[in-house]
Amino acid sequence: MNNTVLAPPGHIVFTEFEGDEGVLVDLNSKRYYTLNETATLVWRALEKGNTKAEIVRLMTTAYDVTPERAAASIDNLLSSLQSHHLLG
Amino acid sequence: MSNGPATSAARLERKSISLELTNICNLRCSYCMRDEDSLYHTPANFFSVDLLRDIIRSAKQPECAFDSISFTGGEVTIHPRFREIIETVRAEGWKYSFVTNGWHFDRVYPVLLDNLDALNVVAFSLDGATRESHDYWRGEGSFVRVVRALTRCYVRGIPFIIKAPIRRDTLPHLQEFALFSARMGARALHFSHLLPTSNSAEDESGLTQAERAHCEQEIAVLSNIFKMEVGVAAGYYNLNPDSPCNALSDRSANIDYHGRLSLCCNLSGYRGAAAETDVVADLTKEDFAAGYVRLRRLADEQLERRRLMLEKHALGGTRPDLHSGSPCLFCLQSFGKIPWRDGSQPSRSLPVLSATPNSPSAVFLKQESV
Repeated sequence: MNNTVLAPPGHIVFTEFEGDEGVLVDLNSKRYYTLNETATLVWRALEKGNTKAEIVRLMTTAYDVTPERAAASIDNLLSSLQSHHLLG
Repeated sequence: MSNGPATSAARLERKSISLELTNICNLRCSYCMRDEDSLYHTPANFFSVDLLRDIIRSAKQPECAFDSISFTGGEVTIHPRFREIIETVRAEGWKYSFVTNGWHFDRVYPVLLDNLDALNVVAFSLDGATRESHDYWRGEGSFVRVVRALTRCYVRGIPFIIKAPIRRDTLPHLQEFALFSARMGARALHFSHLLPTSNSAEDESGLTQAERAHCEQEIAVLSNIFKMEVGVAAGYYNLNPDSPCNALSDRSANIDYHGRLSLCCNLSGYRGAAAETDVVADLTKEDFAAGYVRLRRLADEQLERRRLMLEKHALGGTRPDLHSGSPCLFCLQSFGKIPWRDGSQPSRSLPVLSATPNSPSAVFLKQESV
């Protein structure tokens, strides 16, 4: 799992806003989804093809958070994205 | 349920000038009505900020009474002094709108946020409600660009509308356009019939009169279903002798990228035109108010020409054909914009492809960086 690459699907359009927030548009459902600062960091990493282990490292570098807690947060986000069909 | 077409923003409450900020465009849409020499082979002309200010100050005088401006092109977001243009409009107390393909929206987005109180609406041109159908006409990457632009508008409260063409390929997808526009948060969806630039373009992409009637009824149905405004621009088949559009009813005036005052943005710089009798003044040499007097006279003459045509048909018990019954097509004929129709001049238009999703892009769909 830690080395799995989860690529964003082609029907999702990501727009980054000032303040490091982001918005996803699902072109299938035509719905907007707002990403907070940390979710935007994760999404950008997914777009670059980073693995989960690499994303954990990015998050622990950017924020004062333990690797375990970062991994748990990332798991939650990925599950949420998948449940909304925003991630394959 | 209404049987007639729902007219888009049927009449402007404001008196609005449409002004071409530049002649050039970053996209190459084969059906575009603007002259391809101006779009792609003439050096870039960018409208002067000083001339814009002079025009606004003259046009806001009581004898003219304009109070807003809508920028067209070319592609307006290419203008290198876009911020000064918008700040000038705002400083003069006017409202502004503009039409864009959305490709360079990120460039102008900060300007809009800083001048939101003077913004009427941003109009995005959309050729399809899917990536495949839109990019077919506008080139790969266009749809994602415009979706990002719509997202910025939606999130930041920038009012926007969608403008969609009615062609043979878009006819089966009117509802998709409406659903997409509503879901993305558009204030309105304005359809408009194809303005033909060649016999082949008209044959391949234009609708017959019967198809147009069916299409307009479908748009009327959509306008009753959606809370968002859905309508069709003034070029629909219309036998009412009253003024059919803003240009003929003293609600709008056009200024081209040379600074010339003319009747209507749909006639200006028309691809393959044989005449420019719709141009009444060079505003680099003459005050707007002086030219405006001639513009009103020209509009009145055209209204009378149309009224007489309709009266002749009524007396003869005949029904005008599409090119007479559609006010836009009637004006295109009257002002020598479509000389290829009677064979007096060959068409200079690019060929129009039959739009099939997933077709490979033709050479004239290639993107060009500016």
